[in-house]
Amino acid sequence: MTRERRTMEERIVTYEPDNSLKSGYLSIFAEIFRELARNRWLTYQLFKRNFLALYKQSFIGVFWAVILPLISVGTFIILNRSGIFSLGHMKVPYAIYAVLGLAFWQIFATGILASANSLVQAGPMITKINFSKKSLVIASAGQALISFAVQIILVLVLFVLYRFVPDVRILLIPLMIVPIVLLTLGLGLILSLLNGVFRDIGNALSMVITFFMFLTPVLYAEPSAGVLAVITRYNPLYYLVAAPRELVLTGAVVHWKGFLASSIFSLAVFTACILAFHLTETRVAERI
Amino acid sequence: MKNDIAIKVENVSKKYCKTLKRSMLYGISDISRNLIGLGSRPGMLRRDEFWGVDDISFELEKGQVLGLIGPNGAGKTTVLKLMNGIFWPDKGRITLKGRIGALIEVGAGFHPMLTGRENIYLNASILGMTKKETDRKFDEIVEFSGIADFLDTPVKFYSSGMFVRLGFSVAVHSEPDILLVDEVLAVGDSAFRAKCYKRIGEILPGSAVVLVSHNMVNISRLCENTIVLEGGRAVFHGETDLAIDRYHSLLKTAGEEPRGIFTCPSMNSFSCRVLNRDVNYGDNLKIELSFDSSEDIRTGLCLMAVSEADVYVGQTDFSEAFKEIKRGKNRFILEAGPACLRKGEYEVTITVLDVSKKQTIVHAVNCDEFVLRGPRGYGVEYQIPYIKIY
Repeated sequence: MTRERRTMEERIVTYEPDNSLKSGYLSIFAEIFRELARNRWLTYQLFKRNFLALYKQSFIGVFWAVILPLISVGTFIILNRSGIFSLGHMKVPYAIYAVLGLAFWQIFATGILASANSLVQAGPMITKINFSKKSLVIASAGQALISFAVQIILVLVLFVLYRFVPDVRILLIPLMIVPIVLLTLGLGLILSLLNGVFRDIGNALSMVITFFMFLTPVLYAEPSAGVLAVITRYNPLYYLVAAPRELVLTGAVVHWKGFLASSIFSLAVFTACILAFHLTETRVAERI
Repeated sequence: MKNDIAIKVENVSKKYCKTLKRSMLYGISDISRNLIGLGSRPGMLRRDEFWGVDDISFELEKGQVLGLIGPNGAGKTTVLKLMNGIFWPDKGRITLKGRIGALIEVGAGFHPMLTGRENIYLNASILGMTKKETDRKFDEIVEFSGIADFLDTPVKFYSSGMFVRLGFSVAVHSEPDILLVDEVLAVGDSAFRAKCYKRIGEILPGSAVVLVSHNMVNISRLCENTIVLEGGRAVFHGETDLAIDRYHSLLKTAGEEPRGIFTCPSMNSFSCRVLNRDVNYGDNLKIELSFDSSEDIRTGLCLMAVSEADVYVGQTDFSEAFKEIKRGKNRFILEAGPACLRKGEYEVTITVLDVSKKQTIVHAVNCDEFVLRGPRGYGVEYQIPYIKIY
């Protein structure tokens, strides 16, 4: 952490042990905000780097993002048709319901995986150049938004195929995904730090996320009874995925209270996590 | 802070942990303590910890170059990283004025899959340059690196030299007020190295430079003052010339230079002696070679290399004059000079290969030594012309 002060022409930086503690929490928020604002260009460059690096040596490139939902949804349709399990009752075509749900879900899943591994992957760079590590994590999480955009195109194709007319409030999507983006960024920041110290985090993460996906009604309808119904009721991720989906498909959000509560929860998580990250990021650079 | 002081390092210490698992535990405990608003008790050592950098202080003004030298593991790079803000100090304080440019590893921010052009923008942004600045400097960066033809080739297809040139080029064009350089000048060919020195000379008036190097020629050429580090402590801080002496005496006490004479089977009782072991600056060196040979040998490449504390300083190639070895006793005197070297203690290594250059006839490492007296001052890597053999 650095205490900075603008002088007449030059920036003065001081490095001291624990010096972030001396400046107080309020000024830390200002510091974080300034850092993010100053490093917008860097964030964009890192985002571009991740994007190009991922898709440059690949023929179908960004359309890989379409394959995952097609396969998962296809599997579920087959399981359902052979009577192995029931997807629950729903008013809209299942393919649309599931692909749209997955699009919102993978903002969380892809975002967290990418950001949690970002610091470790950049290891040598972090120990050799001093640059904004927040930018790095945020840029990595940004990958999820690219996949999201591609999957939304897939959803639009499905709308045409099934002759389904979505509600005009589909235009509110960018606003509706803000909470899930905040939650992803917050958890991604803190997990990237922990992963820097304990590699176990990165190893366990994709398993945990898959587990959560089956726990959350993304690919099946909201359960009405049983343990799963109770878990769903207190699962913020369900509301963050279901509310935008309901809005697109029906034009109304049934669980708006749950969505509001989950949004507040997400904001709180994000705030706490970025604060923790800011206070401890250089500690991790020396352990990475 | 006084106006023209760019770097102020006050009693800075930094601890390291020897074991990985403990390091993880300490890391998590430091992080948790910071999070709940407690200090991390940085001043005390826990089990398996040691001070990697111990109580270092110095100040540097704009336009000055400070050298940091010392044996491996003395803490040189850690000091640079502390100044760059990559690590926090555990004790003391570092104050820096202006933009910091660090050449700790050239091209560390490069991505192999991206093209040279994309990497210039990426690396520039990592080093803190804005888009406008990068646009403005772009042509200059490309020109300096000399890779204009490969600008749109992915960096992974670059040779290591091209990679380094591009990395250095981006870094020196960020116009830092403070430039931290870690041993990166050792890379690239000599023409590019010369260009780098010129560039450092250009940015020098407006910036303070800290240079870490094992190459004493570079240190003595660039730095007025030098700190000698050993085991994390500054054991000397002052004039570069005295610092280099101190460094060499450190290396001497740390361990004798390897010595060894290897000869091919047909050669016996080889000896190499410096006849004038006290040489004045500009004098000729006289070296006596004597041996028995059981056959006639046509020699190919014959070299005498001179090193100071195991650091290569210069050589003379006497292949032209030393073309054959006769069967029986041989005795030659090799005279080389003038020895325009920095004052100091030097070691002599003799290498003789046969005409096909496939077999080593003699490799006598550090077989004798001499002391050069004379002016303190700048030595250069030096080709010592041989004069004659008799």
